Amino acid sequence: MTSRPVRITNPLGLHARAAARFVHAAGAFASQVCVAFGPRVMDGKSIMGLLLLAAAQGSEILISAEGPDEREAVEALCQLVVRGFDS
Amino acid sequence: MKLRGLGVSPGVAVGRALVFRQRTFDVRCRVSPEGTERELARLEQARELSRQQLREIRDRIARSAGPDHAYLFEAQLLMLDDPMLVDRAAAFIREDRLNAEWAVRRAAEELTALFDEAADPYLRERRGDVADVTGRLRVNLRPRSAPTEILRGVEGPLVLVADELAPSTAAQIDWRRVIGFATDVGSWTYHTAILARSLHIPAVVGLHDASARILAGATVAIDGTTGDVFVDPSSGELEQVQAQRTRQAAAERALDEYRHLPAVTLDGVRVRLEANIELPDEVAVARAHGAEGIGLFRSEFLLVRAAGMTPIAAAEDAQYDVYRSLVERMAGGRVTVRTFDVGEDELYPGSGAADTSRGVLGLRGIRLSLAHRDFFKTQLRALLRAAGHGSLRVMFPFVTGADEIRAARAVMAEAAEELRVRGASPPPVPVGIMIEVPSAALTADLLAAEADFFSVGTNDLIQCCLAVDRTDDRVSRLYEPRHPAVLRILRLVSRSARRSGIPLALCGEMAADPGTLVLLVGLGVTELSMVPSAIPLAKQVIRGLRADDARRAAGRALRGRTVADVERAIETVRLDGVSIQEGSNS
Repeated sequence: MTSRPVRITNPLGLHARAAARFVHAAGAFASQVCVAFGPRVMDGKSIMGLLLLAAAQGSEILISAEGPDEREAVEALCQLVVRGFDS
Repeated sequence: MKLRGLGVSPGVAVGRALVFRQRTFDVRCRVSPEGTERELARLEQARELSRQQLREIRDRIARSAGPDHAYLFEAQLLMLDDPMLVDRAAAFIREDRLNAEWAVRRAAEELTALFDEAADPYLRERRGDVADVTGRLRVNLRPRSAPTEILRGVEGPLVLVADELAPSTAAQIDWRRVIGFATDVGSWTYHTAILARSLHIPAVVGLHDASARILAGATVAIDGTTGDVFVDPSSGELEQVQAQRTRQAAAERALDEYRHLPAVTLDGVRVRLEANIELPDEVAVARAHGAEGIGLFRSEFLLVRAAGMTPIAAAEDAQYDVYRSLVERMAGGRVTVRTFDVGEDELYPGSGAADTSRGVLGLRGIRLSLAHRDFFKTQLRALLRAAGHGSLRVMFPFVTGADEIRAARAVMAEAAEELRVRGASPPPVPVGIMIEVPSAALTADLLAAEADFFSVGTNDLIQCCLAVDRTDDRVSRLYEPRHPAVLRILRLVSRSARRSGIPLALCGEMAADPGTLVLLVGLGVTELSMVPSAIPLAKQVIRGLRADDARRAAGRALRGRTVADVERAIETVRLDGVSIQEGSNS
């Protein structure tokens, strides 16, 4: 399993549009993806799960992946968060 | 469009179609292990349909308002594929065997609760998106609009068109707004048909695919007497139906004077006219129409399971109360109770047999009762107890031979013995059989030694004799009471009964039709039981008839080779005061 923490920078946090982009990106990988924020851990391919994390701007989330392409997945998803979900 | 079914509750109703597909409606139920695959497939179909719709919406919004505004529907598309929704629902189907609607509802409830818990106001707003998606899924799970929604926007009286109508559903319907119903499935003894008759609501059943062919909101005219269903009728057809209604009302008024006159032919032959009923409350109707007794009490109503209630048949005391009230309300008039004549699916609903139509040749009637001995004995104990309060006879349905009569009598003897052990002293009760299978008719002389009386059930006898399933509209026109084979079999039974000195009665629609009624009198059948409303007309026919003429007509009919020959023989009979043609119109 590969994990890496990353801070959310975009003003609206992990809202619907950001979560949608994240799920799209996560869906491109074969690995299982998890996102943890505080005590909660959610499926990184579940838009509702990500929304329910309610991670606002400045929150630090932990992205984990397990599977054949776990390194690439974590790398790409962290980049997406850092770029402010390309919005 | 005109459809033809089986009229099971007389009268005419014209209204807007309210289409109710119970099988696909948002009902909650558990499915069989085999049924889960179907539910999963339906769920997947609904998801695919929802996906297509959301993509269309997204693309339209993107074109008209710009791609930035379309993202919400992109999010909804992702929700549709979210493991927390459809996959979760699928797990409910697989693990808890919920139907798809229920599974989606439960998954949605879980999600809603999660979003409600969230402190973040933004998240609580997202709840609306979740509800939007789950709502879309649910709508796509049902192929037609929900009847309750249609009810709101529709004016005027409604005719319910349903694939099937469970008694528990029927009980929830406002029968002041819904003035008649038509169903795809069903038969004369269909529970809901029985309820329709008790509610005096016109009903046609056995329409096969009416609920798929009739669109909600269409004007529908049903005739519960003929079984005709007109969809968006022409003014001519509407007039025809209205005329039928007027004719029925007029005929009923004209016959009022006959209700309480004895049924005696011009040459002094006394005919006993009794009523076929299925509910204890109908005793009043039977008496008001001049019935001398109850010739056939169809006890199946006692098996009806109203919502959340155990059927009356489950308890001896409850059954006893019904039978006792029957004989008491007939005040001395004879009551003949037929033991349960149902298929196994009706005895044990949910056994999986409900989808297959009740086979004419299957496990039913006395066969089923003998296979469920304790259940049967409970009914017999209740009957024996009720026999102490009036004139009661017991009759076994669908008997095919002497062995069955002996076996049934043995159960009856056990039931009587059990009552004696309790300290009761059950009176002797006449035990008869229905003659409704050709084997029973052909051996009537042998069975006469085993039974105290016969009652010919013409509806089933004709079906079995002519190998015609009346509910199959491809062959139902071959159902013909005037078929020479039917007359011969009736002559045989009548002769066997006369020579053996055993009382013979006949119940069935043949008794209610003036033409065949004449033949029956001519064949020497002088105890007839029919729907209560047919009794006044039967009295009028009998009071205008010479039994000698009827005998001659029957002789001529028996020499006929075709149905047309039989009809010509009937037409030779002159009635005093009424023509047979005139009579058979009403």
